[in-house]
Amino acid sequence: MEFISPTTLDEAYRALTGDEARCLAGGQSLVAMMNLGLVSPSRLVSLRKIESLRGITPRPGGSVRIGAMTTHAELAALDVPNAAVTLLASAARVVAYPAVRMQGTLGGSIAHADPAADYPVALTAAEAEIEIGSRYGTRTVPVCGFFRGMFETTLQQGEIVIAIVLPPAAPGVGAAYEKLSIVAGDFAIASVAAMVGNTANIAIGGCGPKPLFAAGIGVTEDALSAAGKRLAEECDPPSDQRASEGYRRKIIPTLVRRAVRKAQTGIKAPQ
Amino acid sequence: MSIGASPPRIEAADKATGRACYVDDIKLPGMLYGALLTSPHAHARILSYGVEGARAIPGVKAILTGPDLKTPRAGGIIKDESMVARDKVRYVGEPVAAVAAVDAETARRAAAAIEVQYEALRAVLTIDDALAPGAPILHEQFSAYVQSVKGGGHANTIFESSLLEGDVDVAFTQCDVIVEGTFETQAQHHVYMETNGCVADVDAAGRITLYATCQSVHHIQQRVAEELGEPMAKVRVIATRVGGGFGGKHASNIHSIAAWLARASDRPVKLVLSRMQDFEVQRSRHPARIWMKTGARHDGTIIARDVAITTDGGAYADESPPVLTFALMMSRGPYRIANVRARGRAVYTNKLRAGSFRGFGNPQASFAAESQIDELATKLSIDPLELRLKNAMRPNDTAFGGHAVPSCILRDCLVAVRDAQRSATPLPPRPDRRRGVGFAAMSHVSGLMGTAAEVQLRTDGSIALSTGCVDLGQGADTTMMQICADALRIPIDRVSYAQQDSDSSPYNWKTAGSRSTYMTGRAVAVATVAVRDKMLEHAGEILECSTADLELRPGGEIGIKGVPSAVTFKDVALRSLFQAGGPISASHGFVFDGPPFDPKRATIHQLAFQNLGVYTFGAHCVEVDIDEATGAVEVRRAWCAHDVGRAINPAACEGQIQGGFVQGMGYALTEQMQWNSEGWLTTVTLADYKVPGVLDCPAEIHPIVLEDPEPSHPVGAKGVGEPSLVGAAPAIANAICHATGARVRSLPMKPERVLKELEKRT
Amino acid sequence: MNNVFPIRITVNGETHEVRASPSATLLEVLREKIGLTGTKHGCNHGVCGACTVLIGDKLARSCLALAADIGERKVTTVEGIAAGRELSAVQRALIESGAIQCGFCTPGFVIALTHLFAHNPRPDRETIRAALSGNLCRCSGYVKIVGAAERLAEARP
Repeated sequence: MEFISPTTLDEAYRALTGDEARCLAGGQSLVAMMNLGLVSPSRLVSLRKIESLRGITPRPGGSVRIGAMTTHAELAALDVPNAAVTLLASAARVVAYPAVRMQGTLGGSIAHADPAADYPVALTAAEAEIEIGSRYGTRTVPVCGFFRGMFETTLQQGEIVIAIVLPPAAPGVGAAYEKLSIVAGDFAIASVAAMVGNTANIAIGGCGPKPLFAAGIGVTEDALSAAGKRLAEECDPPSDQRASEGYRRKIIPTLVRRAVRKAQTGIKAPQ
Repeated sequence: MSIGASPPRIEAADKATGRACYVDDIKLPGMLYGALLTSPHAHARILSYGVEGARAIPGVKAILTGPDLKTPRAGGIIKDESMVARDKVRYVGEPVAAVAAVDAETARRAAAAIEVQYEALRAVLTIDDALAPGAPILHEQFSAYVQSVKGGGHANTIFESSLLEGDVDVAFTQCDVIVEGTFETQAQHHVYMETNGCVADVDAAGRITLYATCQSVHHIQQRVAEELGEPMAKVRVIATRVGGGFGGKHASNIHSIAAWLARASDRPVKLVLSRMQDFEVQRSRHPARIWMKTGARHDGTIIARDVAITTDGGAYADESPPVLTFALMMSRGPYRIANVRARGRAVYTNKLRAGSFRGFGNPQASFAAESQIDELATKLSIDPLELRLKNAMRPNDTAFGGHAVPSCILRDCLVAVRDAQRSATPLPPRPDRRRGVGFAAMSHVSGLMGTAAEVQLRTDGSIALSTGCVDLGQGADTTMMQICADALRIPIDRVSYAQQDSDSSPYNWKTAGSRSTYMTGRAVAVATVAVRDKMLEHAGEILECSTADLELRPGGEIGIKGVPSAVTFKDVALRSLFQAGGPISASHGFVFDGPPFDPKRATIHQLAFQNLGVYTFGAHCVEVDIDEATGAVEVRRAWCAHDVGRAINPAACEGQIQGGFVQGMGYALTEQMQWNSEGWLTTVTLADYKVPGVLDCPAEIHPIVLEDPEPSHPVGAKGVGEPSLVGAAPAIANAICHATGARVRSLPMKPERVLKELEKRT
Repeated sequence: MNNVFPIRITVNGETHEVRASPSATLLEVLREKIGLTGTKHGCNHGVCGACTVLIGDKLARSCLALAADIGERKVTTVEGIAAGRELSAVQRALIESGAIQCGFCTPGFVIALTHLFAHNPRPDRETIRAALSGNLCRCSGYVKIVGAAERLAEARP
């Protein structure tokens, strides 16, 4: 195996030729898979030294650009008046364990696209955009087009996630992330991310190859109950070691309701 | 003095600085690395081996396959195993071949390069499949196996056993209230933080020295010698620091493999299991099905219990006979139930062997028994704690099987946890959660088999203590030193404690069965007193008086009562070494000598124990929060009262109680080994097999250490290692029922399972 | 066959030059090449925390860190916590509180607690438990480990 540690994105793009070359971000998923014998890259391209992948930048217009090599710990510590950022930070706080959060990165995690992971759900509800770079330039993809399936994204060979862009804060919007797992730090049996203003945008995680998104859901008890049932039917949950398909469908309405109510408690009154 | 104090463990600083030496820390010159090839089939005949490809890999120094084995099968009560498979494989993960090579990567590659041809056979993965008519038989040669207790052999039955007191059938006709139910429990894994492993060294004469993380150097020595076909004198086993055992390291699976490879390659060989392989190759707790029926009179007197237990023993017998026996013994619970029938059977299936694991059949039996006590209480409209108090054993009652039990403070344990929970500041209720409180009572044993200790006086009056008791982390090393130091009234730092080495350590059966403090501690106490007496004789000669006039003084002195003059231990030592008498030492060994089973009380059929006893008792109380929408259960607080006889090191007792409770909580709520339909274990990482982390545990686990001296122990001590695990699952199940009315009868009580029971409520 | 190449790595203030494969984890290099065996191999897939070290001022699971990617960042292992024979306050607290049983998880907890107290001199119980959530212990039930940290927090001015 070959190991390369470029200092610029251009060097990284050049190194990422060939099918067996992979990016090393925080290593929290990739090295675990290497240790378990599940992957054996012929070339590893470390992104550690590439400064342009770091940093959290507010943009004119109010959107927030988060560099792909931002760690979960750095995200978890964010405290800005932007519900999308709050949502991402809430998800970051419950990813795995402290040591994993201090090393693991946003870009690495979403490129891995584990259906039971926390970011895909949160980013979907927040309607984020993913900035992707390659030797041919950069492209921006809405999050719903980024996650394609189980461990599958729209990334092509030679492409790197370089940043996530969250939309500007909207007034009167709150966010919450609700996760059910067997033990703390585990992947979710099921999770729900909610962005809530007058209506709710909801994403369901752990219940299909990629997050399920529903926008504009009413927030009365009846509307939430109906939406919860509908989403439980529409999603495509697995039966696995953690839980059965039937159980996941059963608890989705509860998680939806709880996420929405929690999000509402975080809505700040307009100034 | 030492006993009752909680000095830091003698090896704690080494552990806190990373200096403590565990097996994987050992590196010997010229050391090779071992790797295993394991079976991909749950049940298959081995047709042929192709090792040429592996042998050709540079750096490969030895290869072991079944045909290389010349000795008969080995094992526990039933000798049905060999270090690698012979002729047949019986579970996915069974070692089929092993390689020693110059580095771990080469060894793994070479093992993977060994080609084995199999003829797949139909496999049975459940008790019912294994017992069904026409089921494939795992051990066709069972009747030819050496068995020290015969109890099985037909239709995949490993062992059958029963225990009977009174007349159950008549008694049930006299009951006003009867409850009946079937309970199911899962395979749990020990998940000691340090996986199993060893380093085998070999000398020019072929003598093996094994450095092993184990629960008994003598047991490993015996097994390895047997499997190599050598006298035990040609095998030496030295215990390294052990990173947890819990029963999983009580027997030898892989040590013989390492020893064989060391012999064959004439080099030291390190064989340490990866976490995945440890899950696949070692042993689990027995899954069990427990049918139980309990009957009482209106006033709450429980008069009848009928029990049938079937345990899933996996592919090899291991400790299936004694675990079954013990489960039956414990199925009456710590109650004065006059009529009890307990029958059981252990069954072979094509899965990983099940064996010894903290609790040893008691967790399974008590999950059913203590759940059923609550069910009975509900039907009787009696408070569940009151029902337990009413029927609780008292001092000088007999245990199930007829053992006299002189020391029994179960009632104190029950009252202690009840009162502690009642007087605790109530936790505020949580929205969307139902709160419940649940109780469980338990008994266990702490005396069985044989042990010995040796005490020697050194030139400066220091003491050298040696036992065969391996410290698994529970603090046995420090406890033994405390007992010794206390008897001589010297500080602990005047006592040295020898590493367990089969060349020199006095015999000890195993660190298991909660027996170390009672059995080896008793031997230490008696041997130390014998050394003391010899020192008194010397002192009497020096001081020219009768030993009756002498007293031990703190700090290593012997003086005449009422008179300042004294001699030191050093004076005595010098006299013995240079003048008269010779080196002072004493040893004491015994095999468990408690009151026996009573054949006038109990009808016993095929129990896999000669004798055991020294009963301990305990009670747990837990508070839980249930999320009725998801079935998620959270234990908020726990109180665990245990009768330890005498707490030698109270902090160590507390640590064992808290740790046992959490391991029992994992058993209750989150831990489950799972197999797919092909017999592959699917929970082979810590991501799949869910051990509680700190956030899954209550912040408050209150250990209540109660003392009521055990008369047969010089210091009054009993054991505490296992009982705290036993009470967790039934207490939690009872709390769930108290909160919601839902009775969960199978483990683990994962959210999905609890939700299913919640939905059954009308 | 894996190629080996030279890797320079600073551990506990000392710089080492080792030869290792690019796929070698920091855990392997610490234990097998540098001879620092205090950091333990508990699962090798990033769950148990027995391999916890500090990389710079951040906690890391050394089984998930590639030695080749450490670069100039300074690694601290359990062997680097005491100052010679003078144990750190964290180590003394664990020893004195009866929090150490089999000891295999202890190096990981020493590092995690050292990191906690370096960033938060008086953490409360909830903060302590969160900080330790990535370290498994099978012996103790965690109560005395958290208790040791609470006592240390109280002792701080």
